[in-house]
Order: sequence, then C-alpha cells, then structure tokens
Amino acid sequence: MGCGATKTSKFNRRFDKDGHAIPAAITIKAAVLIQRWYRQYAARMEMRRRYTWNIFQSMEYADLQDQIKLYNFLGYLMDNFTRSSSERKLISHIFRENEVCRDAEWERYFSFTNIDVPDIYAGPRLTFPLDMDQVADLVEAFKNKQQLHSRYVLQLLLETWRLLRVLPNINRVSTCHSKEITICGDLHGQLEDLLLIFYKNGMPSLEKPYVFNGDFVDRGKDSMEILLILFAFLLVYPGDVYLNRGNHEDHIINLRYGFTKEVLSKYKLHGRRILKLLQKIFSWLPLVTVIDQRVLIVHGGVSDTTDLALIARVDRHRYVSSLRPPKKKTPSRINVYANSERLPETVLCKNTMGSLTFPKPFGARDSFQRRSLQDFSSTMARTLEGEFEVRRRQAEFSLSSFSKSHSILSTALSPDSEPDSSQLTDNSNDEWKQILDLLWSDPMSQDGCIPNEVRGGGCYWGPDVTEDFLNRHNLQLIIRSHECKQDGYEFCHNRKVLTIFSASNYYEAGSNRGAFVRLGPDLVPYFVQYQVTHMTRGLSFPQSVKRTEHTAFKALRELLFVHKSDLLSAFQEIDKENTGLICLNDWASAIERVLHLDLPWQVLHPQLLSSTKEGKLDYQGWFRDLALKKPRSQHIEQTMLETLYRHRSTLETIFRIVDTDNSGLITFEDFRQTLKLLSAYLKMEISDEVINGLVISTDTNNDGSIDIDEFMEAFRLVDKSRLERGQSLLKLKQDTDKCLTSQTVDNPASQTEDLL
Amino acid sequence: MAPKKKEEPKPVAAPKPPEPEPPKEPEFNPAEVKIEFTAEQIEDFKDAFQLFDRTPTNEMKITYAQCGDLIRALGQNPTNAEVMYVLGKPKAEEMQVKMLDFEQFLPLHQHICKAKDRGTFEDFVEGLRVFDKEGNGTVMGAELRHVLATLGEKMKEDEVEQLMAGQEDANGCINYEAFVKHIMAG
Repeated sequence: MGCGATKTSKFNRRFDKDGHAIPAAITIKAAVLIQRWYRQYAARMEMRRRYTWNIFQSMEYADLQDQIKLYNFLGYLMDNFTRSSSERKLISHIFRENEVCRDAEWERYFSFTNIDVPDIYAGPRLTFPLDMDQVADLVEAFKNKQQLHSRYVLQLLLETWRLLRVLPNINRVSTCHSKEITICGDLHGQLEDLLLIFYKNGMPSLEKPYVFNGDFVDRGKDSMEILLILFAFLLVYPGDVYLNRGNHEDHIINLRYGFTKEVLSKYKLHGRRILKLLQKIFSWLPLVTVIDQRVLIVHGGVSDTTDLALIARVDRHRYVSSLRPPKKKTPSRINVYANSERLPETVLCKNTMGSLTFPKPFGARDSFQRRSLQDFSSTMARTLEGEFEVRRRQAEFSLSSFSKSHSILSTALSPDSEPDSSQLTDNSNDEWKQILDLLWSDPMSQDGCIPNEVRGGGCYWGPDVTEDFLNRHNLQLIIRSHECKQDGYEFCHNRKVLTIFSASNYYEAGSNRGAFVRLGPDLVPYFVQYQVTHMTRGLSFPQSVKRTEHTAFKALRELLFVHKSDLLSAFQEIDKENTGLICLNDWASAIERVLHLDLPWQVLHPQLLSSTKEGKLDYQGWFRDLALKKPRSQHIEQTMLETLYRHRSTLETIFRIVDTDNSGLITFEDFRQTLKLLSAYLKMEISDEVINGLVISTDTNNDGSIDIDEFMEAFRLVDKSRLERGQSLLKLKQDTDKCLTSQTVDNPASQTEDLL
Repeated sequence: MAPKKKEEPKPVAAPKPPEPEPPKEPEFNPAEVKIEFTAEQIEDFKDAFQLFDRTPTNEMKITYAQCGDLIRALGQNPTNAEVMYVLGKPKAEEMQVKMLDFEQFLPLHQHICKAKDRGTFEDFVEGLRVFDKEGNGTVMGAELRHVLATLGEKMKEDEVEQLMAGQEDANGCINYEAFVKHIMAG
C-alpha cells in the first residue's frame, strides 16, 4: 500500500491479541457476514410478526361469526318459543324490558341522592357543575387505580344524559382560531392508552378540542373509567369535546364483550341502575362529527345510501341497540304521553295488544305480518299472498342475515300493526339501516357496496362509493375507526378514507400500535403513534414478538382442538387407506377447508406440528399433542365438548342475562333449559343425562346452583406443551434444590424466557 | 558546465496494459435458472409470498425492496449485493415501485439457494473472533456496533440497536458464542 491509505482504513485498522494488525479485508468480511445474518434474522422476525397478526385477525373474524351465532340464537328463541311454562320463564328473563316507564319513575330510579358515601371512601368527591380541576383529579385518581363511588357515577351520568339530549345528531366543528383538532379512535376500555394520549397530546381544553370516535367500552378492563373521564370532559368543555357513537355503545353488545360484566363487578349494589342509565346515554350519543364541512368523522363508515340530511333528522335515541330495531310509533298512542322522548319506552310498556315479553302466539295472522321474507322456517308456512307482498317490500330494507334476525325480533317485540302504519315501519327500517351503516361498515378495495356478512351489520363499501359520497356532500375526507390497524392508522381509497385506531396492543402485548391524528385549518392530517409498553417493558423486540406469537398460537391450537371431529373426518377422507398418516400439503388444505381462516398453514406448520415422519404426519398423535381437556371435563364426550366450546360465548351471554340478581349463579333449572334450547337450535341431541353430568361436575356447592365462571372455566383447554415445560422446570428446580452444593444452572435467563 | 549527463532515456512507462478487467459478471438471467424445489417447498414459499403481499387487492405481488426480506425470511442469508444482482441491479428509486409476482420470484430464490459459501455457525463465530482482542470469548459491544455501522454493508443505527439489545453484560462485553446462538435461533 502506499501512503495513500485513507483515514478510514487507518481508523478501522484492527489489532489482534498479539498486537498484530488484522488486514482490513478480513475485518470487512467479518462485518459483512454478521450483517448478512442480522438481516436474515430481522426478516424472519418480520415474517413472524406478520403471520401472528394474520392469526389474530382471523381469530377476530371467527369471533365475529360467534356474535352472529348469538343473534341467530336469540332470533331462534323468539321464533320458536312455546307456551310451556318453564321455557316461557326463561325467555321472559332474556327479553324482559325494565318495568319502570314513566317520567317520575325514571327520576326516582336513577336518583342518587339517597346513596350515602361512607367516610372511609378515599376517592374523588365530585360537586356539580364540574370544573377542570375536578376532572384532572378524577384522571389522577383513576391513574392510581381508585374507583369513583356509585353516587358520583350516577350523578355524573345524569348530567351527561341531560347534556346529550340537547346535542344534534351531527356534531359540527370548526378549526377557526387556528385550533388543531385531535381525533382518537377505538379505546376499548384500555385506560393506559387514553392516559398515554393525554400525556403526549395534553388533555382536552378550550385550546385543545378532541373528537372521540366511538367504541370506548368492551374488551378492556377499564371501560367505566374511560367513559367517566370522557363524559367529565364533555361536561366541562361541551364546545370542545365531541363524542361519536360506536357499535359497542350498545347494551346488548356489552353483554357479550365484557362491559356489562365489568360494571356489575365494580358496582355490585347499583350496577344495574348504572347500566340502565348508560343504555339511555348510549342511544343519545351523536352519530357523526363534521369538521369545517369538509371532513366526516364516523365510527364505522358509509354505504351507497348514506344521506347526511336524513341522518340529521332521525330520532337517534329510538335506536337503542343494533339488535333491537326501533319500536313503531303507532299513531293512536302518540298523544297519550306528554313527554315525547319517552314515547318508545312508554309505548312498550303500555302495549296491551301484545306483550313485549311474550310474542303473540303462533296462529294469529298479525304476528306474522312483519317477519322477514327470507325466513322460510317451517313454522311460518302459512303466508298469504298479500302478506307476501308487504314483506317483500320490507325485505328490501333488510339485506343481511343480521337484519334478518333483527326483523324477527322486532316483529316479536312490536305492537300490533295498524293499517296505515306500514309507512312508519318503512321509514323506521330505512333510518335503522342508515344508522347501522354508519356504525358497522368497513371499507373494501373493490368497487361497489355489499352487505357486511362478517360483522352481520352495515356493509362493505368500495372506492367508488367513497367518491360518490364525498361529492354528494361536498366533503374531502372520511375519518373512521372500527378496525384494528397494526400501525394505528391506515389510509385507503386513494387516501380519501382514513382508519384511526387508538387501542395499542389490542390483540396481545406487542400486537399493534395505537395512533391519534391532528387536523389544523389546512386539514392535513398529522399522526402520532404510540404503544403502551409496561406489558412488554424489559422485553426486547424479539422477546415481545415471541410472546405475542405464543398467544396467537395458543389460541390457534385451541381452535384446532375444538374442531377435532370435523378435522378428523377431513383427514380420513384423504387418508382412504387408513394409514393414519397424511402429507403436509393435504394437512394444510384440509385445515383450510374446515376452518376457512385463510392462514398460511405451510408457513405456520413448524409451530403447530412437532414432527413429521418422512414428510407425513400422524394425525391422531397430533391431536393428542395439541391440548388437554381439564380434568373436570374429561368425562364430557368429545363432540359435546367441541360444540359447547364453540358456543361458549353465546352460552355465557345468556347465562349472564338470566342471572338477574347478578350473583354469578344461575339455577340448575335455567341452566338446563338454556342448554336444551341451544341443543334444539343446533339440531343436536343433548340428553338429560349429559346435562346432569355437566352440572354435577360444576355444581361444587351442591345447592342446585351453577357458578357461571366456574362452568366457563371448565371449557378452557390446557396448553399441553406449556404444562410439560412447567412440569420439567419444576422437576429441575426440585433436583437442583436437592443438591447441597450450589450449582449454576445453565443460562437461567433463557429458561424463564421460554415461560413468558 | 559539466556535460549533461546523457540522461538515460527514462524508460517510458510502457503503456500500462489495461488493468485486467474484473471478469465481467454476467447479468443475471432468470430464464436460465433451473427450479429444483419440491412441490411442497413451492407451496411453502407461496404462503410466505402471500404474507409479504401488501397490494390492496391481494394480487400476489411484492416490491423489489421486499424481495431480499422474503428470501431471508425463507432461511437464506444473501448479502445486499447478491440480492441486487438477482434483481438485475435496479436503481434505488425503482426498489419501492417495481413489483414482481411469484413466478418471477422463484428463479431469484433458487439462485440464491444454490449459492455456495452460506456461512455456517463456525464461520460466523470466526467472524466475530476477529474482534476478540483478548481472546477470551468476548467482544466489546461498542466496537461491534461501530464496525457494523461503518463497514461492509452498513447497518442503520436502529438495526444495530435491535441486534444488540440485551446482549451486552455490565461491562459492555458480549459473549459471542451465545450471541451467535441467539441470532441463529431467532
């Protein structure tokens, strides 16, 4: 070399332990080698992150199908209940509306004034009207895991209800005064995310307006606290805080997804009252927000028929739940009660022509009047031509299977028809569809607009519908939420639709980031992403990927296990010679045929199979390795277990409805009836013996009542591989402890890592 | 005046023979690659390909930029140079824009799979041993970071951080055998 050696090479000259210079070439080669390996490692990590994400999304899809099962089951119940007294009692449990109806009675029902707050209560004591200091204290209290006393909860909720009733369906916001508006998506009870948003962005104030785009509750464990915070800010800054209703602001959805359970367990004495008040509040939440008449913010989305002018006019509070279309306003009753906003409930209660809890008995012509045309169940055989016509017109408004079961419910619940009231029904249905579309729809990449069969409500809308909608209403952007996005936000439809999702780690710790967006007068979105890290604190990125992956696969293995019977038949169909072996490709395609999850099974197989013999899998052995039944459920027959497991959320929801005193226990009789109804619905035999067997295993107090949680617990499967690892670790520990001399266990850090 | 020494004619530097051109690397021709994967392997690759497909309508296409990642995710560890070679040495601005479908991807992958000098565990350890000044099985974390970020196919700071996270002990040293095991176990 000459003296032309560059500074770099001199700088990078390395020396080995004897002080000899290492030729640069070797250093570089070493560096490149490490870099190659690193890049491979990073790519593998990325792939794992991706398929883990896919698994979670598929599981959510499967879970939504579950939801539809619940609705269908409820619809079935309405269709087919008979007059037998035992079943009637159960069903009346399920559909009982609150008896209290009149004005004065509501006031008394929600009254908080006779609720005493004990001296030892250390939480915030609110005085109304609220001010900013109190709200800041409230946030601080929740940060410190305190709970607001039910007296103040009711008081705050009452104030909120009063305010919401004077708000319009469409919030109109302006960015004048150079104010930047912050928009947040789904929070789903994850308080840490809300606190993180406030930390990064500041709390709502006159200078800092916020829009919260629905889905504040369910799934997470602090839904109540989030609501209280949002409502408190709303009360203090009514001109700067805007709330949109989401599809989870719905008391029936809450039964299934955890909010009801949360409230009842946090507020044992007054929980039901709080829930009832929340039911009203949810129905009074505004539907959409419009910024500068240019940007629409709505929870779900739009459809090809969405019409904001119509939305502005509806009586939004009549749409209490997506599962219950509004009761008809019958003309003859309109003048009876002075307070018109209470009308629907009062009509409900005073209806003497057909009790709401008991649909009219079959055989009466009228009760068939408003059933969906699509329902060809055998019990509905007797339809006349005229009725056919009426129903066909109505059927045009109910597109999806979701609305099918809903119209079934609504007909069961609504009062008898009057000749000229079919007009009102049409309007109601139309408005109802408009609202469903706003709260439930998802964008798709193809043009067009089709019913959203996955969610059972709303539609899938395409870029052409966006274009058309924006033009018609002179808007430039739709901001919506409703779908979890890995990076917290995502554009689609040529950047005309923005999805914003604010619940980080939604599926599992490390699964996704949350985000919020700021819009200034230029209406250019500015994003901030974040991720709550305490769950993954101390874990490096690869460790958190591993952990998320672990959860995903555990859920997947459970799913496979509970479809064992179907999978087994699929495998046996392929394995005609009964060798007990099946090749990988066939395994993958059989699974896809049974589960319909559209997952990359080939890529996933190393995590799901322990070994193959010459490329073939012993499938019986594989099932044995997948999971173990809990000892308590050992005696339950496999297909029965699978069925119950698959419908467990439906079962649990029904149980909670039936458990009217919120004791966590239901009677043996109710339990038995629920199972019998489910079995009839599924057209499968569940004999009394089997039911008795189920009960005996769970009725540990032998007093004729079943503990719901205990029963559901029996259906959780044990993760066999984890069990084995745990057992071997325990044994290792025991062996180590036995030795009197201290031994260093090889790499304890990596062992504990495995258990994460 | 001293007679001018007759200067020896300076040997005129013979016209330097043109530097032996580095053997011109033939351009990569995907058509010439014989696919030797089994049907099962191809199914496997297809699944993975789909995972990397980010087109809104699931067209089964990936960008040039993703190609290297996919090949690596499938278990190979080419250098960036090798990846660029099989892609036909595209320009930087083409990487995010040009796409390839599965059929176009297969020969590229096959070529990389056939390449020798994959680098074994031992090679990797040897590579790291170069930086082991004291010959005691450890390297200085700081030094390694510096090397990875400045030499060879440089890594970005956050990539280095991700690689090294949690590997250094209290003295900032890394036991490289454990380090290699960690990387290879992924």
